[in-house]
Amino acid sequence: MLTHLNLILVKKILTLAVVLTLLHTSGYAQRGCISVFSGQVLDEQDNPLIGAAIILNPTNKGMVSDIEGNFELKEICAGSYQVTVQFLGYQEQVFEISINGSAEKIIRLQPDVQTLHEILVEEKVAHVETAQNYAVLSGEKLAETAGKTLGESLKEVSGVNTIQAGPGIFKPVIHGVHSQRVLILNHGIRQEGQQWGSEHAPEIDPFIASNIVVVKDASSIKYGTDALGGVVIVNPAELPITEGIGGTMNLIGQSNGRSGTVSGLLEGGLKNHKGWGWRMQGTGKRSGDFHTPDYSLTNTGIKELNFSGAVGYHDEQKGFEVFVSHFRTDLGILRGVAISNLDDLIAAMEREPPQSTEDFSYDIGEPRQKVSHNLVKVSAHKQNDNGDWRVQYGFQNNNRQEFDIRRGVLAGVPSIDLQLNTHTVELEWETPHEAINGLCIGVNGMYQNNDNIFGTQRIPFIPNYRNFSGGVFGVAKFVRNDWVFDVGGRYDYRFYNAKGFDFKNASYNESLTFGNVSVTTGATKQIDPNQSLAINLSSSWRPPHVAELYSLGTHQSAAAIEYGLLLNDSTNEVMDINDVPFSIERALKGVTTYKRQWRNFQLELSGFANYIFNYIYLKPTGITQNLRGTYPYFRYTQTDAFFIGADLMMVWNLTSQIKVTPQVSLIRASDVTNNEKLVFIPSNKFDLSIRFEEPDQYKIKRFFIESKVKYVARQGRAPRVVTPRQIKEAAEQNIDLLANDNTIFDFMEAPDGYALLNLSTGFSINREKVRYDIRVAAENVLNTSYREYTNRFRYYADDLGRNFLISLKCNF
Amino acid sequence: MTQYFKSSKFQFLVLMLGLLIAGCESDDPQKEDTPELITKATLTFTPAGGGTVVVATATDPDGEGVKDIEVDGAINLTAGVSYTLTLSLINELAEVSSPEYDITEEVEEEGDEHMFFYAWTGDVFSDPSGNGNIDDRTDAVNYEDEDLTGEPIGIVTRWTAASTSASGIFRVVLKHQPELKTSTSGADTGETDLDIEFEINVVN
Repeated sequence: MLTHLNLILVKKILTLAVVLTLLHTSGYAQRGCISVFSGQVLDEQDNPLIGAAIILNPTNKGMVSDIEGNFELKEICAGSYQVTVQFLGYQEQVFEISINGSAEKIIRLQPDVQTLHEILVEEKVAHVETAQNYAVLSGEKLAETAGKTLGESLKEVSGVNTIQAGPGIFKPVIHGVHSQRVLILNHGIRQEGQQWGSEHAPEIDPFIASNIVVVKDASSIKYGTDALGGVVIVNPAELPITEGIGGTMNLIGQSNGRSGTVSGLLEGGLKNHKGWGWRMQGTGKRSGDFHTPDYSLTNTGIKELNFSGAVGYHDEQKGFEVFVSHFRTDLGILRGVAISNLDDLIAAMEREPPQSTEDFSYDIGEPRQKVSHNLVKVSAHKQNDNGDWRVQYGFQNNNRQEFDIRRGVLAGVPSIDLQLNTHTVELEWETPHEAINGLCIGVNGMYQNNDNIFGTQRIPFIPNYRNFSGGVFGVAKFVRNDWVFDVGGRYDYRFYNAKGFDFKNASYNESLTFGNVSVTTGATKQIDPNQSLAINLSSSWRPPHVAELYSLGTHQSAAAIEYGLLLNDSTNEVMDINDVPFSIERALKGVTTYKRQWRNFQLELSGFANYIFNYIYLKPTGITQNLRGTYPYFRYTQTDAFFIGADLMMVWNLTSQIKVTPQVSLIRASDVTNNEKLVFIPSNKFDLSIRFEEPDQYKIKRFFIESKVKYVARQGRAPRVVTPRQIKEAAEQNIDLLANDNTIFDFMEAPDGYALLNLSTGFSINREKVRYDIRVAAENVLNTSYREYTNRFRYYADDLGRNFLISLKCNF
Repeated sequence: MTQYFKSSKFQFLVLMLGLLIAGCESDDPQKEDTPELITKATLTFTPAGGGTVVVATATDPDGEGVKDIEVDGAINLTAGVSYTLTLSLINELAEVSSPEYDITEEVEEEGDEHMFFYAWTGDVFSDPSGNGNIDDRTDAVNYEDEDLTGEPIGIVTRWTAASTSASGIFRVVLKHQPELKTSTSGADTGETDLDIEFEINVVN
């Protein structure tokens, strides 16, 4: 067995070697911008500074240092630069550096308790300027998630979990809330897809990002409503402004799913046209059936093809950019979850492996999804003594088709076929960057059109709708001694016109309006050079999603019928919103983060409490019968929910080469009104990683070997269990278990806790002008069988078994 | 006042803006046919030697709505008589002329992917004896039809009522078993397309 594996490995390495040589030749032929500037930002005591801004002029390239103070700026043209390093509470440092190939520098900052500077970085990290509680996934950490979906990559961020529907669909969960309560910004544009279903993942290619920022408080008030849990910001790198061509190429192979991912990026500046830059990027991914330690997960293959392009002009005062991207995925849903009524659900839950389990295949059959997302963005900014003006327009076109197993001529006809077009316009003004106190004001507007594409031959799950939203905001920041305060507010308005069909297939047409205010306030105190404290308190609201109001039907794999808030309890007819007890959902969230550094040790502790009034959720309500059998049904209902928790992260530099990183995420959620628990809340997580690093040894650069243990505890606060069998048996006695006791329940007990061992190693080599990063990893090394509580497919099958990954990245 | 402002003038403005952006797109959704919906199942027991035909129906008044299905009384068979049971599944939402109206026909055409299973209580039949094949595929049911591979479908079945009076529950299940139907696949295989129950009485 081992030899067999070795053989496969040898084959893979050989293939890679060939590719490597090819790439090397092509890299050699080009004289592009391939230099790398990396280093570490430290304080006087050699403790790393997290979140320091490093800006390379005149490129305008910049980034923030990571948890170890490390930074890495890639795709730099050879030449002389001026580097500016800034960090709140420290004196700004400016120095000249000549970069050719690669340059490394340790930067030591002097504390500056008297005058606190704002964290000021160029456009791409400007989004974090008012946030106090955030985490950045960038550089090596981001590179290590290559090959995973956006949602899965975000699991690496403390405080972030996922809601999963099988191995291919991950939705980010920030501090226990997800979907409509997490705002995702892609290139500064609110991602508008079909986010209402738990099996609808964000439609973004993670290779597009140069860093991903997760804001865990509601301070990013600029971007509109919905950020009740937080904001995920996907930031691209700045476009080059000087002559030359550079790029990166990623090749990733994984054993589980036998998947291959290729992602390439090429960018450059124009000769004799300083300031003009362009970028092209594309990713292709193909994966077959994933497998658990014991069986194949039939029909879980993925096909993905994404590309994007950008062109723009930037100088010190102004900039203009056009960005276009296309995302397209075809993915299979585990065959064994195709079920109809309660009896089918009983059978599927009691069976292992799932029905229709077959040997490995790349085929994707029904049930499946076909999703595409297109984005066009035009943005411009201008900066002068009066301030900074920014304007942007975005158009998004999202298509989602869901194919179920259907009969006769309907086989191959989608049962859900939606097209969502969204236009967004934003205009904002900010005080000049030099000012210590700042103000930013702006307006944004959105027009959205959701259409059911005719021909599904099913009553649409959600209606067609038009959505017009508008908002105005203001954010101010001021500095008093060693405190930085910020305060912000916004007003939003939303108008919906929904046209759909009810259970009788009779049409309805309703218009709704919502309007309300969000406020945020925060403070950061640099207690001393080694300690800081940040507090944010916010009150934000979100308009209900059309799906929460009008949903009607059964979901892929759910064997349950869902009814929207506006559907009458007994007649199912669509009602006027004034005739139902509906109230706006509003969150009151407080987050505080304390950071402290010692000589070899650093700590980041953040605690949060989020009270959500009128929290909308699916409540089990009863059972109903149609000619296909018995079905439980769920109704969108409102309650008050309370989330509380803490994230702890520590880095202990045992020696200069060995680093131990423990990480803890705790969360507890309750339904306050009914004194109940909530379902699908991520359980407590504990990670421990031990990493050995050797930055420079002969020709091997940045060698590391890391061992990571992830322990996920059993969700001890799962709601009561009512099995489908119990519901069925009671129904046979004419007892409606759900109508008699409609407190929240789950069909199956929470699975046991589990621990996974992951190993990885990697290094870089520089040859001519090309740098190769090679990484080999093994996930779930011990091939542990487990089920994850927040994976909706845990009812039916185990989670993934061992996975070997080999990744090659070249930077030229 | 604010209410008035919000509800009429502002809405109008918003609508105009919306129309401006949307141009001349029409967003009135078209009504879909819903051929998968079975709204009426009819069981027709025809006595072998002629006589009174026994008919029972189950109808679904609201599809995916919360209302339960309606069953029009019990199936009353005469003791000792042999019957041929013919099933008919209708989607009353479709046009009678539409191929989607008669689901039974569709099931027959895709016989190699579909199978009806039967179960009963109270020993109401002398042939087949037992309790039906929903719990165990190998139990006896007299199928009178077959698909292209020779496997039973179950649109037409044969039954002989018990010789003495009896009563129980009669259950019919239709399974959709694409690429799953074999000579041993049972009622727990595939997706359920129909699952209905009737009271059944055998009278002297």
